[in-house]
Amino acid sequence: MSNIDDQKIIEGIVAGDEAVFKAFYKKNRKYIRQYILKNSGNEDDVEDVFQDAVVFIYQKLKAGSLELRSPLSTYFYGVSKNIWRNRLRKNRKLVVTEEIPEDTAIVEASILEEIEDREREHVYRKHFVNLSDTCREVLQLLFLGKSMKEIAEITGYAEGYTRKKKFECKKHLIEMIEQDPIYQELKITSEKK
Amino acid sequence: MERTPEIFEKIEKYLTNQLSPEELALFENEMANDTVLQKEVATHKAIHGTLSDQETLEVKEKLIKVSEEVKKEESSFTRTLFSSPIRIAATIIVVLGVGTLLWNTIDTTDELRNLYAAHYVPFPAEDITRGEPNPALQSIMNNYNKGAYGKVVKALEKDTNLVGQKELGVYLGTSYLNTNQEQSAIAQFENILNTSKYYEASRWYLSLAYLKLKNTTKTTEILEEIIEYKGVYKDNAVRLLNALTE
Repeated sequence: MSNIDDQKIIEGIVAGDEAVFKAFYKKNRKYIRQYILKNSGNEDDVEDVFQDAVVFIYQKLKAGSLELRSPLSTYFYGVSKNIWRNRLRKNRKLVVTEEIPEDTAIVEASILEEIEDREREHVYRKHFVNLSDTCREVLQLLFLGKSMKEIAEITGYAEGYTRKKKFECKKHLIEMIEQDPIYQELKITSEKK
Repeated sequence: MERTPEIFEKIEKYLTNQLSPEELALFENEMANDTVLQKEVATHKAIHGTLSDQETLEVKEKLIKVSEEVKKEESSFTRTLFSSPIRIAATIIVVLGVGTLLWNTIDTTDELRNLYAAHYVPFPAEDITRGEPNPALQSIMNNYNKGAYGKVVKALEKDTNLVGQKELGVYLGTSYLNTNQEQSAIAQFENILNTSKYYEASRWYLSLAYLKLKNTTKTTEILEEIIEYKGVYKDNAVRLLNALTE
């Protein structure tokens, strides 16, 4: 892929262009899929890793901290492989896996650290997007710092209902997060530090 | 600690600085004596921090949507394709009759390039500079680690003795690969003797160099040789070979 193509994709990712996401997904998912399925993963893992790798790149692009020394697809595969390898390593108690190929041990230390740092965020987002529309609407406003009164006004719900819904949704979200094996493993790792 | 609406409200007010000075002092005192509450506050804080970034959330949501759309398109394509005997027959004719034409028409260049990108990972920079007083070597390996492959090539081409003494051929070869000098990379990898500890690695990168040049015949030949060798690159070679023949 030429630099011009890469530049267009990068611009599309930063702009959140759905057509670019779709083209990127169609072109690159199969390679990630091949790698993950051959290394103890399943189709859901493929989707998670693909999304989290794109989000990782998006955040780096937004922060202006992405220095591409290779084509974007190469960088993307590198990030995806490292995300998956990191998860396999963390879940080794849960995943029965064959030995991971030697070459995947090769990682850029800085990228690996960033991937590790972002794991918790991926877990939060993963469970947030699985909430009901009502829960997402109420919690999104809460996270933006809106008061119960403001949320009630925006959503059109009664304030009492909004308050109740907010509690139930947030409690459910935290419980789902806490049950996530990746989160549990991250918690153990951070407590050991 | 049981999660209640009251505790949540208090934590949220604390995080958004909405507690009065008295309430704040009381809450901080409560936290100081309750590690479970401390952890709960930390959890809320982290969740609020991450999920208040709406733009990133939107990206995640769009990716989910895209994935669902593509899957739908793929399954409807499969259904359409195999929905009648005539279509099946037509498909067989297409596959058998013009398979070669299709292969040539589809942009195989992109496919091979993506295969290369999916299988290439940089050769690890071993700690060959440990206890090494040679600043030139240290600088080369620093550049290699930083991905400044152009500088590595320049330095190693200048100091060919160093390449021989320190067995840096594989580093020079992969640096050539990363600077689009595939023919030089091939020559470099071919130069590495089968007595070298880097021999197998050099064959693996040689296969990738040919893949980059779209010479699948040579790639396949070398991959088969690596599989036969039964070393650490065998699994990689099997995977790439399977991908090439899929």
